[in-house]
Amino acid sequence: MSQPKEIFVVMSRCTACKTCEIACAVEHSGSKNLYGAISEKPIPKSRVYVEWVAPDGKVPIVCRHCEDAPCMHACISGAISRDDEGVVITDSDKCIGCWTCVMVCPYGVIGRHLEEHKAYRCDRCPDREIPACVSSCPTEALVYQTVDAFSSDARKDVAGEMLAGEGD
Amino acid sequence: MAEDKARYVITGGSAAGMAAAQAITEQDLNGIITVLSEEPDMPYFRPLIPYMVTGKKSAGDMQMSGNGPYKGSGIDIHVNSRVDSVNVSERTVSINGQGNISYDKLLLATGSRPYLPPEIKGADANGVFALRTLADAKAMAERVSVTDHAVMIGGGLLNLKAAFALLERGVKVTLVVYSPEVLSQLMEPDDALLIRNALDRAGLKIKTGCSATGILSDKSGVTGVSLDDGSEMPCQMICIGKGVRPNVDFLSGSEIIIDQGIVVNRYTACNTPGTYAAGDVAVTFDPVTGERIMTGLWTNAVEMGRCAGYNMTGRKTAYSGTFGIMNATQIADEPFVSMGIVHTKNTDYEVHVRNTGSTYRKVVFSPDNDRLLGVLFIGDITGAGMYRYVIRENMPINEIKSLIINQRLHYGHFIRN
Repeated sequence: MSQPKEIFVVMSRCTACKTCEIACAVEHSGSKNLYGAISEKPIPKSRVYVEWVAPDGKVPIVCRHCEDAPCMHACISGAISRDDEGVVITDSDKCIGCWTCVMVCPYGVIGRHLEEHKAYRCDRCPDREIPACVSSCPTEALVYQTVDAFSSDARKDVAGEMLAGEGD
Repeated sequence: MAEDKARYVITGGSAAGMAAAQAITEQDLNGIITVLSEEPDMPYFRPLIPYMVTGKKSAGDMQMSGNGPYKGSGIDIHVNSRVDSVNVSERTVSINGQGNISYDKLLLATGSRPYLPPEIKGADANGVFALRTLADAKAMAERVSVTDHAVMIGGGLLNLKAAFALLERGVKVTLVVYSPEVLSQLMEPDDALLIRNALDRAGLKIKTGCSATGILSDKSGVTGVSLDDGSEMPCQMICIGKGVRPNVDFLSGSEIIIDQGIVVNRYTACNTPGTYAAGDVAVTFDPVTGERIMTGLWTNAVEMGRCAGYNMTGRKTAYSGTFGIMNATQIADEPFVSMGIVHTKNTDYEVHVRNTGSTYRKVVFSPDNDRLLGVLFIGDITGAGMYRYVIRENMPINEIKSLIINQRLHYGHFIRN
């Protein structure tokens, strides 16, 4: 079985332009285009959060779909499960808006849809080959890769930097 | 070969028992897993039973098997099967006073039952409930048709949820609370104003500082309740929510150590070989206070049950305990989260309170102001899980203190600092 891909964050590349947030909200809108999305009620929600850490850190935060997902086990209504691709899914129909998942998620990436009284979170864009946040990112700060490929690339990058350093 | 297969027996088919069973199926592909439940219904999500009263969900909608992380396959579930004794030297349990079954590993996950205060006389009348099981909820739903007014005795979360279910059905509801305010286990009276306002808006009548002394009934069932202030209220339904007690009676005479609940070590194991306990029935500990506690929370029971399941298969897994106080929910239109130490009256904790009129936030630090001990968020519970993480991991909070006080913490602060 092929290893599933995950969304990785390369923080040094993030400029906090928040394009990913817009793309995510549009993808989760009814019209799936920006002009339609901004006039929808309730306003479509982003599942990725670009945060800021003093003095100049930019940190996109997105659901990790944890291997031992606390939200899934904590859910008191059986609304959260993992699909065959490893994606942790919240079933809105089963969600009762008790917010237990919000209470246990250590990443703070589960949102509350106040109008619908439902929890929402990253669903890795089931209708897309590549999640909307990743394809929209202009600086490739978000990467959609398998764990093996991503860590292999990271090792090559570090090795390249070390070699370049030796040449000085 | 059959004799190579481990026999896992689980007494109790709710959160802890089913979470353990699921964890075992993931670890031991050959194990024989038997879950024994005394209830007539197949395992269900107990917190959903108020929806049986409102009619918004059917019993089928609440089933555990096939929902959430519960696959349901590879687990042999027996309902109407009450374990009445355990023989730890023979490694057998007796069911319904009839046959015995043998185990290699046994999980005691018999949960808890509602506490019915003996001073409330007449509680055996028709129409008196303590909403605990799906069967209770079905009976309560049926009683609604003859109920004009219901009185809830006890102001905890369970009774509030039952009260809202009844309000939704058009029943008039009065809550009788002995404490000066509702939800006294999860917050202090001064903290509860937003919740109280939400309850008032929802049409719930509340009588505080008052307790029930007797239940009046005739052949139709409940007709009223008498209170300790000398008054009487006519009603056709009563719901008692005065806490729970662990189901340990069946262990009397066994060698298993009981101290209110079943005593276990960090690996969820009892003092006798091959025996484990988890959920409401088990005595665990609070990592903040270090105190031994028992909790009645679904989420805790699942976590401990999974841990026990792993330990039963030989995958040694320490249980990290849980806060004595931990709950999230929404009462009427107010969401709230309460966890850790939130009762601060007459203590020397450093307490920060911020009240905006629509949100309320109370943050509790240790007296040396070095550790976060508890938070209460009402109205805005954004990112609550991160605060739980800070409390539970006993993190030094120097650099993130103002972020905690202002509820501005996000995960980036943990990785960029």
